[in-house]
This record gives sequence, structure tokens and C-alpha cells, in this order.
Amino acid sequence: MTLIDLSPGEVGTISNIKGNRHLQNRLVELGLLSGTDVRLVKCTPFNGPVEIKVRDSYLSIRWDDAQLVELK
Amino acid sequence: MKKSHFFKPAQKLTQDSHWVALVGNPNCGKTAIFNLLTGLHQKVSNYPGITVEKKEGTVYAQGDKTFNLLDLPGTYSLSAESFDEQIVSDQVLSWAKGENPPAVIVSVVDASNLSRNLYLTTQLLDLDIPTIVVLNMMDQLKDSSQIEIQKLKKELGVSAVVPISAKMNWGLDALKSAIQKSLVNVAQTNHQSQWINQDISHQIKLLIEPHFSSSKFAAAHALRRISRNESLNGENSNIEAIRNSILELGYNTDTLEATLRYKWIDGILPFVQPKIRTKIQKETRSERWDKILTHPWMGPAIFMAILYFIFQSIFTWASIPMDWIQAGIDNIAIFVLSNMSPGMLRDILVEGIIGGVGAIVIFLPQILILSFFLTVLEDTGYMARVAFMLDKSMTKMGLHGKSILPLMSAYACAIPGIMSTRTIDSWKERLVTILILPLMSCSARLPVYTLLISAFIPPITVGGYFNLQGLTLVVMYFLGTVTALILAKIFSQFIKEKSSSSFVMELPPYRVPITRSVIRQVFIRGKLFLVNAGKIIMAISILLWFLASYPKVDSSLTDVNPIHHSYAGKIGHAMEPIIRPLGFDWKIGIGLLTSFAAREVMVSTMATIYNVEDRGDETVNLREAMRNDVDEKTGVPVYTPLIALALMVFYVFAAQCMATFAIVRQETNSWKWPLFMIAYLTILAYAGAFIVYRGGLLLGYS
Repeated sequence: MTLIDLSPGEVGTISNIKGNRHLQNRLVELGLLSGTDVRLVKCTPFNGPVEIKVRDSYLSIRWDDAQLVELK
Repeated sequence: MKKSHFFKPAQKLTQDSHWVALVGNPNCGKTAIFNLLTGLHQKVSNYPGITVEKKEGTVYAQGDKTFNLLDLPGTYSLSAESFDEQIVSDQVLSWAKGENPPAVIVSVVDASNLSRNLYLTTQLLDLDIPTIVVLNMMDQLKDSSQIEIQKLKKELGVSAVVPISAKMNWGLDALKSAIQKSLVNVAQTNHQSQWINQDISHQIKLLIEPHFSSSKFAAAHALRRISRNESLNGENSNIEAIRNSILELGYNTDTLEATLRYKWIDGILPFVQPKIRTKIQKETRSERWDKILTHPWMGPAIFMAILYFIFQSIFTWASIPMDWIQAGIDNIAIFVLSNMSPGMLRDILVEGIIGGVGAIVIFLPQILILSFFLTVLEDTGYMARVAFMLDKSMTKMGLHGKSILPLMSAYACAIPGIMSTRTIDSWKERLVTILILPLMSCSARLPVYTLLISAFIPPITVGGYFNLQGLTLVVMYFLGTVTALILAKIFSQFIKEKSSSSFVMELPPYRVPITRSVIRQVFIRGKLFLVNAGKIIMAISILLWFLASYPKVDSSLTDVNPIHHSYAGKIGHAMEPIIRPLGFDWKIGIGLLTSFAAREVMVSTMATIYNVEDRGDETVNLREAMRNDVDEKTGVPVYTPLIALALMVFYVFAAQCMATFAIVRQETNSWKWPLFMIAYLTILAYAGAFIVYRGGLLLGYS
């Protein structure tokens, strides 16, 4: 299960982040550690970026990158 | 406040040892704090070789004690790789090696987003330079998230934690005195943040470099090496072995530093914010607003309405101060003309310098109004939502959600547009944005369109509602924009991605902008525009004035306009065979040439050629003169509506504003891209005008 499998408003817990080193690093630096709760806030049409809430921030992540964030 | 200080920038403010660095996350209010602390005592320059703005300023506190402050670009981390962020990590790396480090680091933290902001703070603490943590946005905190200031100070081991609110303008004096106190009490610093554990520090011993003054920073740097898989002294086997043993300990080597730091931060947070409960489900006020503002169809509709309002105001409100400026420049020119004896110096002053500088100053109201709106949209947090909504459609065209801001700016002037592409992390998407920006019809084209439309397009109503003149203007803007988007798609197929940054973007909470900060931002934008563009335009104006005025001929000997015999006239005649297929004659040739200084110079050039009085109502007279101009031999009108249309299409595409290419050279750090732009724009302009003129002739128009 990944970030995009959540429906808007649903909360998941991060288990692992795939993808290249840059993406992994950036996401962890922004606080998306494994074990952190994340809520999918909204999706945009045509697989545009998704908005998530993690810790105290709202972030926009592109659809392809969101697919790489695995949840427990 | 000593205003003169601003115009006479202090030399190398941060060269003396008593300087202070301001570091923080994007959207933490760092720039507002910088503006409030330094007032107008600022100097904005570029970092050598690259064009990220370097903002330095001087802080005047009570008494004589002052210190200099450097505002670094906002960054989330020291291991980041986008343009702005690279500056910060390079700077900090040099401080760690003992190269002109600041006496005090001020780490600005958004109190309403503590854990993520403290991440960067812990990276800075590694340097063991005296650090003051500023908790900004304290006014936003609810009771449940109150921060225990003394506990935080103790856990981090910093010299001071200062709660402030830049918005409410409180706590800034306390911050000033805390900085001054740290500058006086120079003590050995050893910060407490023991985020790295024994197991790891044991593993990385071999990667510790001796030239760092702090052992904690050396360890952090070693971890960044491990994550980048970058060996020390080229010993690859070494780093592989270290990576493997760290993996065996159960850590991800790619994200090691970030994981360890967050573990440490998450460990101290319960003490620092005892009442906090993570409420990921809780909707903030911004999230509720976004239900409308980023709604799938209401969001874009609201954005279109805002855009419409901005452009409406640029073109209506700005015309009033623009008229004043024009009148002022005319008066100065008349004053000089009547008070100086005729001669070369007077000519160069009036026609070269006053004319040239006037041509650029006239756009200041538009630039200021546009920067005001863009600063407000940016500071409220709305611009990030626009980027979020449009990201998908923009990426489809090879651009980035963040390209929307530069594209909008470019309708006023390509230069601030190009400068605002810096926030785009991806090199490829940033370059593509820069390459197509000159196609957005900037305000300098407006005088040219206005002249040609009023002279040659009949003011009739078509299709029942549309005024043909207004419709022509809209078509010109549309032509530029659509071509820009098509070319963006094409260019993005051929340009390779150079940076490997991700596309994660923060949607900061909506905030009421701080008036003083906005005013200062607009003021600084305006000054940068005048200085950057002014220098180039002034030089070119003087050159063009020279070309158009020399060699001098005795006007009593010939009744022909002296410009015929000038260098410019000769160049115009030489150009004629090339531009004849487009329907243009040598006079337009000169206009195209002088447009290199600035497009609107075309109008004053034509005025000079036709010898019309250059005072106030020039366009009316020039319009008549151009309409009535007939070929000496055949008696056929020189200009027709079709030629005017071809000329307008030429102006939509042509590479004319030299200042733009100078800025592109700066921003891309190579001549390759500005030269490419000049080439493709010239081909496009020629082909466009050719198709319009020749196609029109074939269809029987004239």
C-alpha cells in the first residue's frame, strides 16, 4: 500500500520510501520518517500532485513520487 | 534612519569578524525579520559566478554598537541540492573550515512547525559557532503547543532562545540585544545536540576530515559522504565497507543523517512542548480555505479572476504615474536644452542619456505594481497553491508549477520574470521557462502595438461585439503566449535534466503579509530593475544616439533628413534587402536596430526619422506621418495595414531587448543559451512576418 492508495482524509503510517537517494533524502528531511503518520489531504485531477499533511506541514508531492511512499 | 547609506552600499559588509548570519527554512519569516532588523540599510548583490541574491544589511541598535547581517536563502537542510539551497550548504561548509565564519548564527525557527524547523537548527549547531534560536510566529501558537523556552535552550545548549513575532513586531529589540550580548561575550561553544550515536560515530572514524574545526560537523559531513557514496581520497573499498557495516546495524545509509537527527529531535520534543498532542486529523484554517481556493474548478476560476484584476490594474493604474514620469522627463530635457549651449555634450545628454534612461524609468510604475501583487501573492502563501494546482498542466508542457510566477511577471518585463525562475528546483524546467519567457508580450511592446494599431487598424466593430483594434491587441498577446507554451513542450524534449532534485513543495499556511516587509521588497525589486536594466540601456542608448547622429551633414545643403546619411541610416539601407520580403523598408530597419536597446525605442526612432515634434502628442503626429508616407517614385503608400500586421507579428517574436539576454547570460552562466534564444527568436520573427505578409498578399490583401 502506498500514499496514493489512501482516500482523501485518510491517515496512514509510513513504512518505507523507495526511489532515488535524492527523493528519499528530501522526504526524510521534511519529516517523512518510517513510523510517521501522514494524512492524504487532497488529490488534483488527472494524477496531478497530491497534498499531504505530515507533522505540522502541508506538502505537495507529485503523483509518481507519492507512489514510492509505502505505508504500513 | 540614514537613507544615504542605502544608496552608498557599505563595502564588503561581512568581511569584518563581527558579522551575523541569518539562516532558516523557507516560509519561516526570515526575510521579514531581516527587513525589520536592517530597515533600508541593505545591499543586494549576487554571489560570485551564480545569481542567487546575496542580501546583506547593517543593524543599528541603541547606542553606537552595530553589526552586519547576512540573510541566507531559505533552506530545509544543508545537504540539499537546489540552486538556492546549494548556496547555504557551500557557505556553511566554508565556515566549518574556518573561512570567515560569522561571529553569531541566528537560526530562525517557525514556532508552529517546530520539529521540521529544528532539523536545520541541529545542523547549524554542529558548527559550534555561538547560535541564537529565534522562535518566530509565536502569535500563531495555541495553548496546547506552548513551548518551554528555557527547556529548549537547555536541550539545544544555545546561548539564547528568543521568542518573537515579526508580524506583531514584538521581540525584535530583545533579539537585537541577545545578538549584541553574544557578540561581546565570546566564549568557547560546545552545543549539546548529541544526535549522532556511539555505534555510528565508531563506524565513520575513517571518514573524519581533519580540516573541520568542529568534530560534530566533521561527523555530519562524513554521513553526507556516506549518503552520496562519495569516498575520501578516492578509496572506494573503504566507503563500501563502512556502508555495509552501517547497513548491518539496521540503518538506511541513504537517509542516515536525517533519520538520526529526527530521532534526537523527537526525543527532546516531549520536554519542550509538554502539552502537545499530534493531531494529524486536525484541519487548520488554511486547509479549510483551501477547500475553496484549491478546489478542482473553483480554484482555477479564482486564480483567473485574480490574474484579470492584476493585469487590469497594471494597464489602467500605471498609466497615470507613467504620464507624470513622461512629463517629468520631457521637462528635464527642455530644461537642459534651454540652459546648455548647443553642442555634442548637450546632444548626448538630451538624446542619449535622458532619452535612454527615460525609456526605462517609464516602466517603473508597471514593475512596481506587478511586484507589489506578486509579493503579496507570494507572502500570503497563495502562489504555492497556484503552483500546486497548475503543476500537472505545466509539466505536460515541459514547465513546472512554479513557472507560473515568472510567466506572469514576464507580461510586465522579462527581466524580473527570469530572476524569479530561481525558485524552480529543476534545472531543466527552470531553463525551459527562461527560454520561452521573452515570448510573453512585455509592456515595452505595448507602445509599438499601440502606434501601429491606431495608425493602420480601422476602429470598426466585428462579430457584433469586438472592437477590431482591441481584438488585434489581444491576438498579439495570445500569439506570443501560445507559441511560448508550444515551444516549451518542444524544448523540453531536447534538454537534459542536470540536477536531481525532487519535486516536493511546501504549502505554507495562509498568512497576512507584513506591510513593511512588502513595501521594502517592492522597493528593492524596483531598484534592482532600474540598476540592472538601466546600465545596459544607457550604454546602448548612447551608442544608438551616436549611430543616428553621425556623421553630421550640413542641413542647409540638403533637404533630405540627416538620418539618411548617418551610420544608422546606412545600416538601415544595408538591411533593406533582407527585410524587404517582409514588406519593411529602411526606416523600419533603423527602428528594428534601435529596438535592441528597448522595444519601445522604436516609437521614438520613427518619430526622429519623420522629424515630428517629440513632445507629448507624438503618436498622433507620427500616426499621420506614417499613414501619409508614399514611395517617391510610384506614389504607393509605404505602409499598409498588412505591413503593420507583419511588423506587429515580428515584434511578438523578435529577440530585441539586450537587457534580457544579459540577464539570461548571468542566470544560465553561459553564452550558449542567450545565443540560442537570439537565434530561435529571430528565425521565428522572420518566418512569422514573412508568412503574414506574403500570405496576406496571396490572399489579395494589401
